Formats: sequence, C-alpha cells, structure tokens
Amino acid sequence: MAEKVPVALFVNGENRQVLVDPRQNLLQTLRADLGLTGAKCGCGHGVCGACTVLIDGEAVLACLALTVAQAGREIGTVEGLADDEASAALVQAFVDCGALQCGFCTPGMIVAARALLQRNPRPTVEEIRHGLGGNVCRCTGYVKIVDAVRTASGAVQP
Amino acid sequence: MIYLEPESVPEAVAALAGDEDARCLAGGQTLMAMMNADLVMPSTLVGLRRIAGLHEVTETEGMLRIGAMVTHARLAGEERLEGARAVVTGSGGGGDDVSISGRLEGARAVVRDAARQIAHPAVRNRGTIGGALCHADPQADLPGALVAAGAHVEIAGADGVRTAPVDGFFVDYLESSLEPGEMLTAVLIPEGPQGAVGAHLKFSRTDGDYAIVSVSSVVAMQDGVCSYARVVVGSAGPAPLHLDAADALLTGSGLDDAVLLQAGDLLAAAADPVDDVRGSSDYRRLLLPALLARAVGAARERFDG
Repeated sequence: MAEKVPVALFVNGENRQVLVDPRQNLLQTLRADLGLTGAKCGCGHGVCGACTVLIDGEAVLACLALTVAQAGREIGTVEGLADDEASAALVQAFVDCGALQCGFCTPGMIVAARALLQRNPRPTVEEIRHGLGGNVCRCTGYVKIVDAVRTASGAVQP
Repeated sequence: MIYLEPESVPEAVAALAGDEDARCLAGGQTLMAMMNADLVMPSTLVGLRRIAGLHEVTETEGMLRIGAMVTHARLAGEERLEGARAVVTGSGGGGDDVSISGRLEGARAVVRDAARQIAHPAVRNRGTIGGALCHADPQADLPGALVAAGAHVEIAGADGVRTAPVDGFFVDYLESSLEPGEMLTAVLIPEGPQGAVGAHLKFSRTDGDYAIVSVSSVVAMQDGVCSYARVVVGSAGPAPLHLDAADALLTGSGLDDAVLLQAGDLLAAAADPVDDVRGSSDYRRLLLPALLARAVGAARERFDG
C-alpha cells in the first residue's frame, strides 16, 4: 500500500482536503473520501460515462482523472448542480419526460447534458445524440433522454 | 507510486531518467484506464500538466507546432489546421476572378477531421495528441491522420531534442520508437501541397468506438488529374498502413473508381489486421478497398464542385 499524500481539492465551490493513495482516481475520492455518491462507477475505464463530472467547466470522466493531478482545478459534481437554475430545469425535464428508469446513468447524463447546453444552448437532435454519445443507458433506449435535453433547451414544450 | 509535476521539459526528462519504470501522464484517457485495471503499475508518474510549452500551438517555419498536451477537443476546433486553402480559379479570365471554395479545407484538415471523431466529448476534453501517439495504438484515429499529413514528432531526452518523421514512430502494436527516458514534446504538421484537401473517414459500428477500418487521405487535383495523393489506412495492421505504390497509382490518374479499387486492393494485400470483437481480419481486408474508394471518391467530388 502506497503512502498517502495530502491533496487540496476545490469541489462544488468548497475547499476540501483529502489524504489519498497517489494511484487513486477522482471517482474513488469523490465517493469514498468526500461522500459525494452522485457520480457512479459503471465500467472504470472510460466507456460508460456514469462518472461524468465537470472539471474547469468541461465534462470529464472522473474514473480517468488522477486525484493528485486535480489540485487547483474547479471540480463540479451533480450534487453541486442543485443550486444552478439551468441544471434544475434539466433535472425537471428528465422528470417530466420520464427520461430515466433505474437511474444509474442519470447523474452522468445530467452533467454531460449540462456541459453540452453550456457550449451549445440550442442543440439539434443529432448534436444531443453526439453530445451524450459517451453516456451509456441500458434502460431507456435514449429517446426520452434526448427529448428531455430538447425540452430543457426550450426547443420543445414539456 | 510517486507522483511528480515538473514545470519544464528538462525537469521531466530528469524525472524519467531517475526511474526506468516511470511513465508520463498526459490526459490519462488510456493510462488511467490501464492503471484502474492494474495492467500498468508505474513506480513513478510524471504529470505533464504544469509544463506550459506543451499546451501551446504555434507556427514556425511553415510548420504548425502542436504541443504534446493539446487536447483532441482543441485540435477539433483549431482553425490553423485548415492549412493551405484550395483556390479555384474562375473562368472569366480576369486576374481578380479567383474564388475560394468554402468546402476545401487544406491538407492539415485531415488531423482536425480525425480529432473530431475520437471517442466522445468527455474523452476529447482530456485526451491529448501526445498521449494518443505514445500509446501507439494502430486502431486509433490520430496516428494514421498524422502519417497522411506528413507530420514530424519532436522528442526530448537526456541528449537533447530530436525530430523525426512520424512514419517511423509507430513500431508495433502499442510500441513506439521512444527510447527509455525520452518523451514526446510536440507534433509538427507541414502546410501540405497547395490546393490539397485532407479528410479522415472512420468506419465503426458504434459512435465513438475504435475504427474497424479508417482511411486518412490528403489529395489534390488539377484539371481533373490527381496531382498529389497520400493515403493511410488505420486498423489494418501493427502500424498505420502507408504504401508509396498506392499513392503512385492514384497520382496522375483521374481518380476514377477502377483506379481507387486497384489502390485499395494493393493496400488490402499488404494489410495484416487483427481479429477481434469489432471485426475479423478478413472482414477488415474486405472493407478496405470500398472505404478507400469512398474516401478518395469524396475528395474527388469536392474538386468537381
């Protein structure tokens, strides 16, 4: 077991000090050390998107981010989006459209969709499908997820 | 494991020299996955994010110099990757009667086109050109695109900095020509032939997956005759597949379908693709001529337009 090292992280607007194995990835740190269990571990190698978080405003896979390399960066998880108006509209659209079943992929979908709408406020269906292309859902077949993102963008009424 | 974050290339090279099991951490989009699965367990990890020069894109002596830490997302939006623009001369005869076609984007666009098709947004936000090259995966998109663009790599080591054509950089599956203690610092992309267009055609069954076969091409045509062709196939063997003989067949021809299939057959005969879950070796060899015809045929039509 490697010796643990201290890291100063900035998560959801707060400074958080953690003591971690230098091999640890950000997803493990968020879930085990900081109690932020919104981001999920679906695959552990960057294929499923369930661990998507924001780093310096961009969608990033937490399982592929080394915790010790995130010092000084602004990390945002789905929990941190709760106070944000645009994100709240996105969450409501997911509810209104029935865009989830088991819910495991939902935090990653919401964060990826938030990042997409940030850089492209009125995406086409095609752009939504590409924007969420890295997020796997095994329940819904994606149709209602795409509907929810279109609704949140204001392109259609709920 | 020791984690270091040097602030200069010489410091990073010194860190690599201190431990033969040391690895560089660029964007981590492959290395972290391998570490999570305990496939790679470096004793020292040299994080490159604080080395400012590795994040820069600059123009020097006709080359676009792309730092090793530049992400796929930045490459995808990099306007300077349009390179030389194709100029279409109007038939009116006047000296000013020259128009630039909006669809023709220059030779370097092959690199931007490939970067746009790598994986998904989150991976493109972190994955880097240097990491993608050093991983030396012949199924990835950038290796073939950079060979097609005639790029060079800049490599730093204990003895200083050297540059070499990217062609020789890919030795075998997941093996580059980097020596122990060396690191890739930049990729240099020439402007390319005047009027050429570059494109990367990727065939995969799932959006964002590795290519079953990909074709990177840089093609120029003048008065219906191909004046330049450099065609490279990915997922076709242990390294990007490039044959001078295939380029020679295309150059000087009208790029008609028969010639395209002939060049494709030549490349398919030289291909040695893997059998895996994405496709059998035979299937990939069968696809190759059809995809080459589609890729170069699309380039030909852009000149017709």
